[in-house]
Amino acid sequence: MPITILPPKPARPLNTSHGAHPEDGSSLSSDESDSGGGGVGLDDGDISMNLPPTTTTTKNPAHSSHAHSLVTPGESITSDPQWMRGHGTYIATDTTAITSSVAGTITRTNKLLSVRPLRARYTPEVGDLVVGRIVEVQAKRWRVDVGSTQLAALPLSAINLPGGILRKRTETDELQIRTFFAEGDLVVAEVQQLFGDGGAVLHTRSLRYGKLRNGVFVAVSGVGGGGGVVRSRRQVWTMDVAQGAGQVDVILGVNGYVWISKHVETPAELEAGGATGAGAGAGAGVGITNMEEIVSATMYSSQNDPIEVETMREIARLRGVVMALVENGLRVDEDMVVKGYHEAVEMALASADGPEDVYLGDERGQQLAAALTGL
Amino acid sequence: MPLDTSTYNLALLRVDGRRWNELRRVHAQIRTQAAADGSSYLEMGHTKVMCVVTGPTEPGPRRGGAAAGGAGGGGVGSGGAGGKAEIVVGIVIAGFSSVDRKRYGRGDKRTLELASTVSNALAASLHTNLFPHSQINISLHVLSQDGSLLAALINAATLACVDAGIPMTDYVAACTAGSTSTYAANDEGADPLLDLNHQEEQELPGLTVATLGNSDRVAVLVCESRVQISRLEGMLAVGVDGCKQMREILDRVVREKGVRMIQEGTVEKGVGLGDIDMD
Amino acid sequence: MASSQHVLLSPAELAYLHASLSLIPPIRPDGRSPTQFRPLVAETGILPGTNGSARICFADGTEAIVGVKAEVERTALRPGEDTIYLEEGGLEGGDDGEEGSSEDKRKGDASWVEMTVEIPGLRDDDSGTAFLSAMLSEALLADGEFARRLWINRRFHWKLYLDIILISPPLSYPLPLLSLTTHLALLSTRLPRLKSEGDEDPFFDDDWAAAPYLFPRSSETSAHTTTSTTSTSTRPPITLLVMAVANNIIFDPSKEELAVADAALAVSVTSTSSHTTTADADPIRQAQAQEQEEKEGRNLRLLSIRTIDPPSRLTPPGVANAANAAYGASLGASGQQPQQQQQKSTAVVPVMASETEAVEGVWRPPRGGAKRAVLGALVQKVLEGGGVVDEVLDALEGVDLG
Repeated sequence: MPITILPPKPARPLNTSHGAHPEDGSSLSSDESDSGGGGVGLDDGDISMNLPPTTTTTKNPAHSSHAHSLVTPGESITSDPQWMRGHGTYIATDTTAITSSVAGTITRTNKLLSVRPLRARYTPEVGDLVVGRIVEVQAKRWRVDVGSTQLAALPLSAINLPGGILRKRTETDELQIRTFFAEGDLVVAEVQQLFGDGGAVLHTRSLRYGKLRNGVFVAVSGVGGGGGVVRSRRQVWTMDVAQGAGQVDVILGVNGYVWISKHVETPAELEAGGATGAGAGAGAGVGITNMEEIVSATMYSSQNDPIEVETMREIARLRGVVMALVENGLRVDEDMVVKGYHEAVEMALASADGPEDVYLGDERGQQLAAALTGL
Repeated sequence: MPLDTSTYNLALLRVDGRRWNELRRVHAQIRTQAAADGSSYLEMGHTKVMCVVTGPTEPGPRRGGAAAGGAGGGGVGSGGAGGKAEIVVGIVIAGFSSVDRKRYGRGDKRTLELASTVSNALAASLHTNLFPHSQINISLHVLSQDGSLLAALINAATLACVDAGIPMTDYVAACTAGSTSTYAANDEGADPLLDLNHQEEQELPGLTVATLGNSDRVAVLVCESRVQISRLEGMLAVGVDGCKQMREILDRVVREKGVRMIQEGTVEKGVGLGDIDMD
Repeated sequence: MASSQHVLLSPAELAYLHASLSLIPPIRPDGRSPTQFRPLVAETGILPGTNGSARICFADGTEAIVGVKAEVERTALRPGEDTIYLEEGGLEGGDDGEEGSSEDKRKGDASWVEMTVEIPGLRDDDSGTAFLSAMLSEALLADGEFARRLWINRRFHWKLYLDIILISPPLSYPLPLLSLTTHLALLSTRLPRLKSEGDEDPFFDDDWAAAPYLFPRSSETSAHTTTSTTSTSTRPPITLLVMAVANNIIFDPSKEELAVADAALAVSVTSTSSHTTTADADPIRQAQAQEQEEKEGRNLRLLSIRTIDPPSRLTPPGVANAANAAYGASLGASGQQPQQQQQKSTAVVPVMASETEAVEGVWRPPRGGAKRAVLGALVQKVLEGGGVVDEVLDALEGVDLG
């Protein structure tokens, strides 16, 4: 079937969710008794008055005592002066009350109260591993799109120059800044510092960072129901994939930009494994002994290594898994992606189209999500 | 066809069967569109509006021209230099939105004025100072018109901005208020009316008011018809009250969605309000 | 026609995409088969104030709404002037002639249909928008059949306004989305039933339920079964975006896929009920072909072809390692010629080769036009009996027109 046409999801079941959410008259009724002569109101209660209490918050019964941990803009959180306000809050004029400025959940770090929005653009934090795309080349720096509210900066002084880490930056480097990164190039980098206005400065001074190649890009920010990449233990990992397709690297940028690529053995591995890396390719197999040099050699390459068909297929499958997670509003982290991938391989084996079918759109994505949330 | 005000005086019901202080059916959704930073759909009676928010985002060297040039809307804020995000509003009124098909060009004066009003209204609430060098693009689409268009636009834009996670002081909620008899009638005893539909808007004096959340702070007040000053106070009071109701409706929409997202595990649970005082 | 917005992709990405799409069978980034469309959500009749309306959302979040409104308009009588899309044979009713107004004498005019396309962020006189609008209306009016449906009597006709609105930012090239939405809106369009007779001023039945569809349902009883091969009636045209990479033909390309296309075509097809032989000599269209592909129950008819300039031509070429100044050996602080050092260290590929020859793994934007054979194969694939178009039309027909 070349095309799938789905009926629209039934209009939001505003009233029909009574089964799951027993009525909670106390939640808003106090606000309802506004002035205006009574007769004011919605006809037919099209938008139900009852807020579903968080019946699912079984982990901590204390939560369910209060109706919800959700706050919306303008909602006062506390007027206790012992708390400090963080992101997503403000102090209303003429009061001491910390008030929420976004719709989201409250987080508390010691005495700092902040509200994490249900969905928002990426906010950089120092140490974040991000995947970004160069959008502008300036005299001494690049401007990088990291899916934030501002472009991040990558100064020329914050990259490893070819030929060793400790080399001094020269005017020649400035003149040929485009040979390192040009517009459109994807980089993996780390947030080094933040400006006062929220702008981020990146650096790629590590062998793990640099230009990306041999793979595909997915942006999961701004897509789906608010899921996406979450900060977790590991943002980068190498995994074995099915079909004897070798190994695949996955980079989950904290900013929601994801890079999935064929794993190319690093020189260290090469030396250990005795140059067995199939397809380590022209770039790496030249017999330079200095590891730094060979790494910095591939750091600015935009030439892909030869990639086997099977590997490409598994990369596409992984990409499908990430998209399916996002479309079904699930977290994207190592755990979910790896689990989802194995589930997808199983599904493909069981399906009529055979293991070569890597499509994970609509129904299959939902099936995948259902299997994952059931785990 | 003049509005038959005599009917109103007899039954105290308006042409569509509402009482003087009744809102029309409001139906709203947020996150209608996966790709956008924020999106919403809002119906006030038969007035139907969609809104898509992009940003806040820094216009790159390439994207900048297209976004600013084509939006055809009012911009508030001073862009990059002032250290504030610029709010760019573009309104597209569909040709099929009114009873008789009419083409609304981009340069249409009325559309531009609406855009600039929406932009100003949001600037009163959004914390644009948090996003220097950035732009917030608000694209509004009018699918069907039956009065109170400006109010619907403001409400839809507010919802979409909440969806986009843009910090704001409070919801900007808007609605219209009118008066039961025409200016010419000079009727001292005219009652105020809440939430005018198209027919009432044509016949009767009316105004659009938007307030900042539950406060009485008026963010927008637009009156484009002649009305005796003596009636204005009553109209305004009814309108402000309507805005408060509207805020509750918008808030409920956001909460429903948020609670659902928490339940589905999309968003991590936070600390309950009640827990703050513990330990 | 530079009709597609610039896509910013790195040379490495482009090379990877091109390589995976050139495989046999191609591996698309989202795992679709070459003929598979992106899943979409469709509904019709969303706007009660219109004669017909539809809304389609792709899974990637692009969304379009189309509304159709009809008004009765007096037909301008133009003595002796032939309309462009006039079916041969009828006397052009320049004067109030006396010939019987049988069905055969119905005729249409391109000006009876007015189409507007709104793309957020673009001006309405933007060339891209104008191009889209031209392409969509040209498909609709190409055979003159459509405008003839708007004929009421010799003095009056329906004027049909099609307003096409892209709600989302244009993430991918919006043509297929807009075309499919327009198709659905037209399928759901109803015009009031005519109660008057002859050439008198028309008046209509108030009962909306009795209003006939502009495109009559083929099989009212089994309207919702998508597999009915008995559907032989004419359908509004659809315009499909088809692209070629190497020898692969790929339907409904996403933005990334389009960015590595060797050639891209917008092909408009319709399905007709009856065989009509028209020697169409329309000068407006760039390319046109009349082909008939007989299939059980459905004639596919090619209406128009337009080449889309793929954004791949504007992409920056990749730099082969051999020619990369930042590649390989240490770039001395003294500013030595980097190439000498590279030859020392890599010495794999001749340095200058990358400028002209293809190096595997390095992106090279396509140059020159598309091959004739490829274009021919593209068109052939679209018109294939029982192929993609058939299934798309069936699926669209299956959308509940409630």
